[in-house]
Amino acid sequence: MRWGPVGEVACLEALENLYPYLDGELTQELEAAVRRHLAACARCFPRFELERVFLRFLEARTRAQAAPVHVKERVFRAVFLRPGEPRGQ
Amino acid sequence: MILSVDDRRHAFEAEALPHLDSVYRVALHLARDATRAEDLVQDTMLKALRGWHQYQPGTNVRAWLLTILRNTFFTEYRQRQSRPEMADVDAIDDFSLYPLVEEADPAGRFFDQLVDETVLRAIDALPEEFRETLVLSDVEGLSYGEIAAITEVPLGTVTSRLSRARKALQHQLYAYAVEMGYIKRRSA
Repeated sequence: MRWGPVGEVACLEALENLYPYLDGELTQELEAAVRRHLAACARCFPRFELERVFLRFLEARTRAQAAPVHVKERVFRAVFLRPGEPRGQ
Repeated sequence: MILSVDDRRHAFEAEALPHLDSVYRVALHLARDATRAEDLVQDTMLKALRGWHQYQPGTNVRAWLLTILRNTFFTEYRQRQSRPEMADVDAIDDFSLYPLVEEADPAGRFFDQLVDETVLRAIDALPEEFRETLVLSDVEGLSYGEIAAITEVPLGTVTSRLSRARKALQHQLYAYAVEMGYIKRRSA
């Protein structure tokens, strides 16, 4: 581990890795270091939690949006009934 | 491997069409106009069908489709500033949400009061490179590596764009929530 679990340097290091940590993009070693820091640091923990809430909120507000039926129909027609090519069996 | 037209369509139907929603969402955020987004989706899917032999079975078909979508958008659809974007993302680089809500709402409950429409509009106000990175990550759930491949930038660029895009979005949503009275502005 490159930095201790507590202290100002640890807070800065943890914050620097905030999003990669929440996104699951850190190496195992670094992820473990951040996790240890969060377990020990009352300042960083709620900050990370707020960011986690934000990312969940963002996903919930945006990912449900589906292509409208008329768009699906249009694409399906274009894909399956292109002029000049025979229809399926 | 030579596929007949029917085989190709069946493979395309089974593997590519399930990602239509994903292609549509990204198209909508890139084009920021429903009509152009719909044309873009159709063009993308037809190009993908024509180029299906270039897709390597077993690899990430969604990332492949989104790459085609992005290339099509930048070569054929992009218009000059069709809608206003946030002037300068750099200016809010120092923005940090937590200290602002620490006393009033540390758990971020005010987010619950923001409706989809507000969030989608705020995303579409982000400058292009930040918008596409955020959409691929936070709307579509792609990994940093997949986003780097699709947007043709190094991993570090994805990491920094994503961080700045999220801050910019928080900045806007926080301002909106304050304006609407969902959260009290932090007293100085």
